[in-house]
Amino acid sequence: MSVLILLSVLGVVLLYIGLSGAGSRAGASSILAPIGVLGVVGAVALLLRDFYINIPEYGHMLAFSDMSRWFSIGILVITGLIFLFGLDYYAKEEKNVAEQFALIAFSLVGAVMLTSYMNLLSLFLGIEVLSIPLYILAGGKRHSFRSSEASFKYFLMGSFASAFLLMGIALIYGVCASFELSKITEVAATSGGNILFILGGFFVLVGLTFKVAAVPFHFWSPDVYEGAPTLVTAYMSTVVKMAAFAGLLRFVGMSGMPQSVGQALVMIAAVTLVLGNIIALRQSHFKRLMAYSSIAHSGFLIMALVSSAPDNERAILYYTFTYSLATLGLFMVMTIAKRAANGDEHIRIFRGLFRANPWIGIVALLLLLSLAGIPLTAGFMAKFKVFQLALGQGHLKLTALAVTMALVGIYYYAVVIREAFSPSEQAPVLVVSPVNLLVISLCGIAVVVLGVMPQWVL
Amino acid sequence: MILLLLIAIPFITGLLLLVSRPPAQARPIAMVATIACAVIALAQCWQYPGGELTFIEKDWVPDWGLRLKMGYDGIGLLMLMLTAVIFPFIIAAGAKENQENPAVVNALLLFTQSFLFGVFSSQNAFLFYIFYELSLVPLFFYLLFWGGANRRAITMRFFIYTLLGGLALLFGIAYCVVQEPSHSADFSALHALHLPYDTQVWLFWALFLAFAVKLPIFPFHSWQPDTYTMAPLQGTMVLGGVLLKMGLFGILRFVFPIVPLGTEHWRDLVVWLSIIGAIYAGWIAFRQTDLKRLVAYSSLSHVGILCAGLFAWNTYGITGSLYQAFAHAVLVVSMLYIVGAVQRRTGTTDLSVMGGLKLKSPRLAALFFLVMINAVALPLTQSFVGEWLMFNGLWQMEGGLWMTVAAVSTIILGAVYMLYAYQRVMLGPDTRVRPGVLLSEIADADQADHLFLVPLIAITLVLGFFPAPVLNLVQGSVQTLLSSLH
Repeated sequence: MSVLILLSVLGVVLLYIGLSGAGSRAGASSILAPIGVLGVVGAVALLLRDFYINIPEYGHMLAFSDMSRWFSIGILVITGLIFLFGLDYYAKEEKNVAEQFALIAFSLVGAVMLTSYMNLLSLFLGIEVLSIPLYILAGGKRHSFRSSEASFKYFLMGSFASAFLLMGIALIYGVCASFELSKITEVAATSGGNILFILGGFFVLVGLTFKVAAVPFHFWSPDVYEGAPTLVTAYMSTVVKMAAFAGLLRFVGMSGMPQSVGQALVMIAAVTLVLGNIIALRQSHFKRLMAYSSIAHSGFLIMALVSSAPDNERAILYYTFTYSLATLGLFMVMTIAKRAANGDEHIRIFRGLFRANPWIGIVALLLLLSLAGIPLTAGFMAKFKVFQLALGQGHLKLTALAVTMALVGIYYYAVVIREAFSPSEQAPVLVVSPVNLLVISLCGIAVVVLGVMPQWVL
Repeated sequence: MILLLLIAIPFITGLLLLVSRPPAQARPIAMVATIACAVIALAQCWQYPGGELTFIEKDWVPDWGLRLKMGYDGIGLLMLMLTAVIFPFIIAAGAKENQENPAVVNALLLFTQSFLFGVFSSQNAFLFYIFYELSLVPLFFYLLFWGGANRRAITMRFFIYTLLGGLALLFGIAYCVVQEPSHSADFSALHALHLPYDTQVWLFWALFLAFAVKLPIFPFHSWQPDTYTMAPLQGTMVLGGVLLKMGLFGILRFVFPIVPLGTEHWRDLVVWLSIIGAIYAGWIAFRQTDLKRLVAYSSLSHVGILCAGLFAWNTYGITGSLYQAFAHAVLVVSMLYIVGAVQRRTGTTDLSVMGGLKLKSPRLAALFFLVMINAVALPLTQSFVGEWLMFNGLWQMEGGLWMTVAAVSTIILGAVYMLYAYQRVMLGPDTRVRPGVLLSEIADADQADHLFLVPLIAITLVLGFFPAPVLNLVQGSVQTLLSSLH
């Protein structure tokens, strides 16, 4: 369990660097980011070292399984990349840089807890530890009205969701007299039809689906995505999503929820797929587009969630991880294009991208193709696996709907591709730092390699 | 190995062109690559012993049924050969076009060829799908940036239409793979699948939709005329000459063997839709005033008959359809080349302002005439053999009399609009040439034009007179397919 300790210490260390003065001048990120990456690498190493030691820890509050280890590793890898992104992103920032890094490290603790909770209390704790730093991070651009709005909105809606979650946990406790997942599974087998138990399950799901921005709990996401600093948006749409799905997976898989909860999830998946994709069609602001695309992808993931075949865990891991790679890469490309366009975030900032920097253009193409689900990219493999799982479970209509919505999805990504490859009157002058180039290329290559060789993850 | 070579040669050449971007040598390099492919493919035809051959068999993602299983039977080989033979012409057709960035254009064309080879040699449904979708990507860029007026909207529509079909196919494949006990997506395994009747009835459309859009048959055709007209010349050649053959091939690989009962159920409807589409497109072609659009509609009309012949579901029909597929590829490419040649000379494709071109370009007129007799399926041309076989096939169907009568009427329509077009372009006094183009400056067909068109005309005449080589290639496979269905 040293991972949680290491990550907490990492956060504290980052804070102290900020205090010491080294963290509060321009260029501080060049010290903070490497330390962050180092910490993350250490955490991955710890996870790998104890790989087969899957015993409950902290008094049965947490227990890693192989799958939750892989989720944690995925989360840590993505966070490592985000730290590297931060190197350049915060390079000009003079104040409070260390806090940003530290908050990410703290929220990471919650993310890891979500992958491995054994007890509903640790689930709640994980969600809160994950979210509270994010409320602050979303308001990172302190002088921006949008950013403050995002922060406040996220906080308010998040608190509601937490309240629902707590209510659900309380109801489940009322029926089962225990917070432990194993006990709950036992009780569910005998008195699973209890209305309070089912209601509790629903409320917990509300709390969790809020984090993945599934319809109808998605209203926060476009505004928060738009307002928050891009790096935080990237973190929210990748790490938070992975962690929340790992949490959902555990809850659905281990607590033996009754049939009606599964049906509710099918409904949520259908509505999420339709709304996410259709509304995304009308977006011209890139971050909002990505927000709706993120909602849409949640729909596909929930589809995988309700296919209770044993290999849906791997499918979700693969899907979230490759989705995160593609999304992170695109947000980085956007940051670069945004700088060249003086802070504009409309998708037209991509125009002329290919002319200005062919390599970045091609990588952006690969990332977009992956999100759209064109063959030989990881996004396609992930979608296909989800369809296959859902069909195996007999969700014929849901799959047909998802296939149609995948088509809609392709359209709005194709619009961005079209922009990126259209010539513009004056080619944007892109300043790409070597680290950014490295991370973006890594994302692009990984998306293709994992698309060609999905069995490396799956 | 030889198949990998076919896929790799154009792909790697394309990559090299994309990276190095030699403006002047791009086309010759692409020519060499495509001719090498043509030689390889023809050699394969020469050696083909019959039956179904598998060259590569490797697990890729085993638990998804995705395997690297590639090979061909006679049908696949015909398609490979067709692609390989047509592509050098398509590349060569760019020589007279005044295009930006020829290196990128040729690279995109080569990528398309590579993916097409992949489609035609896949023996795994999943692998087929991957290549099938990939072939769209280079075309998307080609049409989007080199297309004509209104290309953004039209390309998006084309893209969405095709992807809609593609995703339905993906759904169908996923469904079949789940049903298959060992979760294999190999065609051989899927063909052994005996799905219940009710399932087959709806699954038919999931599998057929992609190919109905790709061909396209009525009423899934509305993307086609605009796209063909808007696309640059070579793009239209690829679309009409080769890409739509994926539709035929897909029907033979997916629809007939996997859902025979479903096909039985919907067969009459599809045949009638195809024939209605053919007549409808023929009629519109007759009314067209734009030469390129006319060719687009005539292609649509031909494809309708092609699909009807396929769904006649007997030896004559399927063999004829495959034969005609080859003829159609040759026809589309040569016809479009003529359109390009006329356009370069008169500066327009508007038939209402043309006329009298024969006075200045008698050789071009002669070449146009020779191409045209293939289009109207005159005996001793390649099209005649194909059409004849298909009509025979339709006749043999139950209630095939009226289908045949209706189908034959498209031949008459075809003769009418083709001859009428020829008349409007070539014959008559030379007074109607557009202002700004001096008639005295119009050149006759030059050596390059002859080099392009004469071999294509030779193919049509030789194979029209002596169709046996191509028929022998597919006959065995068609028999195997049919005997497995009944």
